[in-house]
Amino acid sequence: MGNDAYYITAGELAAAGSGQIPDELRSARHLIYSSPATLAFNSPGAQGFGVKRAGLAVPGSVMLLVSPGCCGRNTTLLTERREYDGRFFFLLMDETDIVTGRHLRKIPDAVREVVAACAERPTSVMICITCVDALLGTDMDRVCRKASEAAGVPVLPCYMYALTREGRIPPMAAVRKTVYQLLEKRKKRASSVNILGSFTPYDDDSELYGILRGIGIRKIREISRCEDFESYLEMAEANFNLVLNPESRVAAADLEKRLGIPFIEMTRVYQIDKIHRQYELFGAALGVMVDDSAWMAEAEAAVADFRERYPDAAFSVGEWLNADPFELSLALLRYGFRVNEIFGTVTDVNRIYIRRIAEISPETRIYTNLSPTMLFYDCAGGEDVITLGKDAGYYHPDGVNVPWNDEQQPFGYRGLTRLFERLAEAAGKAEGIS
Amino acid sequence: MRGLIRYLSPFAPDQSGASGVFYDLGGLIVICDAGGCTGNICGFDEPRWFSRRSGIMSAGLRDMDAILGRDDQLVEKLKSAVTRLGAPFAVLIGTPVPAVIGTDFRALGKMAGKRCGIPVLTVSCKGTGLYDEGEEEAYLSLMEAFAGGSGGGDDAGDAAPLKGLVGVIGATPLSTDTAMPPERLSSALGTDRLLCYGAAGGLSAVRRAPRAEKNLVISPSGIRAAEYLRERFGTPYEAAYPLVPRPVIETYPELRGKRVLVVHQQFAANAVREGLAGAGCEDVTCATFFMMKEEYAKPGDARFSTEESFTRFVEGGGFDAVIGDRFLSRAVRGFRGRWIHMPEFAVSGECADVGETGEGPERKSGT
Repeated sequence: MGNDAYYITAGELAAAGSGQIPDELRSARHLIYSSPATLAFNSPGAQGFGVKRAGLAVPGSVMLLVSPGCCGRNTTLLTERREYDGRFFFLLMDETDIVTGRHLRKIPDAVREVVAACAERPTSVMICITCVDALLGTDMDRVCRKASEAAGVPVLPCYMYALTREGRIPPMAAVRKTVYQLLEKRKKRASSVNILGSFTPYDDDSELYGILRGIGIRKIREISRCEDFESYLEMAEANFNLVLNPESRVAAADLEKRLGIPFIEMTRVYQIDKIHRQYELFGAALGVMVDDSAWMAEAEAAVADFRERYPDAAFSVGEWLNADPFELSLALLRYGFRVNEIFGTVTDVNRIYIRRIAEISPETRIYTNLSPTMLFYDCAGGEDVITLGKDAGYYHPDGVNVPWNDEQQPFGYRGLTRLFERLAEAAGKAEGIS
Repeated sequence: MRGLIRYLSPFAPDQSGASGVFYDLGGLIVICDAGGCTGNICGFDEPRWFSRRSGIMSAGLRDMDAILGRDDQLVEKLKSAVTRLGAPFAVLIGTPVPAVIGTDFRALGKMAGKRCGIPVLTVSCKGTGLYDEGEEEAYLSLMEAFAGGSGGGDDAGDAAPLKGLVGVIGATPLSTDTAMPPERLSSALGTDRLLCYGAAGGLSAVRRAPRAEKNLVISPSGIRAAEYLRERFGTPYEAAYPLVPRPVIETYPELRGKRVLVVHQQFAANAVREGLAGAGCEDVTCATFFMMKEEYAKPGDARFSTEESFTRFVEGGGFDAVIGDRFLSRAVRGFRGRWIHMPEFAVSGECADVGETGEGPERKSGT
């Protein structure tokens, strides 16, 4: 076999106009290459959170995965982690099950056995189902109701339907809705807010917390910080939900409908003026003034400091990181750095960034990790670039890499500040980076 | 309840086994899935994935592909990839999605072969089987398609066997618990005159199969292919497992006079039993969760089909020691004897040679 990896420059892509994304960049039009750089795509939870891990965000819950054995295979590693010990159970489907759906009749009894096997009675049982049930058209709500009656605990469905990854409600959006399903209407407290977005906390020192406290919020709740089931249930008293990840939008809309909790949405961005603008809009929506000047100054200083030390820094930006690779690349370009390559998935959402990138750096090359031609990506010659993201690091093993994919989530000014602190630290350790 | 797993987690599935046979052969390996199965194979069941590139692809099926049975679109994607990459052959491997919609893999393979102009093999895995079932079908289809074919050098085809040349079937990471089966086998057998089908030498080694003086079958998954080669080329075969980890061998003298259970893939377990017998330990039972060939079993050997049957067998068997992957010990909390760890990659995802050779897979958190 032999060929070159496909890419298109930002200038060429922007010139092609909307609706003209080349087939090579559209995952539905080609086979999807599996390399370590695509692990996050081909097995969404193989890094960070997938449906299985996310479903266990409810304190005290356990999960029953109902599927052929292959779907639960990589859960072996999770079960070795202390926080998941004794929380995963499996009901394996055989060949007859996947054709007839007879496994559904076993689920209530299986849930009863699972509850009996737990050292402590679980607060809820999550039933995780996979592509097989997506195709069988299983009414999982009904199955869960029967299982709940049989076992005497709440039972909820988690849909690990890889087949619907690009559907209206993708699996990670659906599971975000599921984990808030047990909240019931409570009296609202004006000083309470929930942050929806991640299954791990945002950085402890994020300005988000300071800004929220500055406008009188006393209780800031995130599902990942709920220590027990009662504290999870208290999330129902929030005055509003702050959505920081678009995948939580469905959950937020459901909470608004069921519990009357409205939501405000903000996005993780790395362009400093956009961060500031978001906080302005946030304040306007709540009718308050947000003073973000100190955090903004700190972030500006971090960027300036790095630029002073490494004015000619060139980046290769991947998508396996806590950022939109195109927005982050645009931010780096606007701060005066070079971006040689972006490994990303082009969508309608990020085309706006690509147009701006094309204006500043039309020669920036855009690759898709998923193209079969990436089998031939030449990893040589990356010694002089700083790679951002684990995938970019895979393609340039000799470059300086900042994975930037910690489970603790960065956001806003502090996220930007920390990013440049990490970059400075990594670049400082390496030789040959000017 | 049958099928309910409370303490363990699922073992390597059939599609992982099939994929492992083709991994090093230079062809396009297409997993007919939505993406998750491919991620499981690569991120968990294929230790070579982090160190050696292979043309392993997901078909990227979506709900409408499955509902409408759009095989033609899959074939077009395959043709496009074959054209761009110039692959010498391709293999389509099944998963639960095509199993549910009843994909006819034989027909799909023929259609794809015609359209792409290269051999297109198929392995109709369902995701409900275990890795050795996938390996078995994969080895057989590989041999049927390429053994003795042209392109294996001047000594392929009908040429006579070469003295000392040994074919090896079943030397996959899943069956041998190492990311480097050919290297480990060469070292263990003291020869590099090996044709490790599917693991080294690419398709050329497979084409040279008739030149092997005999075949060594490392795992039960290789028996059917070995029988095929014996019928077609007259190559004799024998079962053997020369890769028992040194730390396990070192415990043999301590087990003299003890009642021992060995849990592993059948040929590896048998090799341990032979080693123990040599050290004076005669009361040894072999058991496995995987394939068990009756002709290689002794009375009392067992095959477990459920976690519960394993628990009962171990806790009620009166064994002084169990040799097996320590991951299994989770399910036998009532066992009071000695547990001697012998990694089994298809069970726990742990290689036996991590730390010994310095090469092992980088592991990722699961979903």
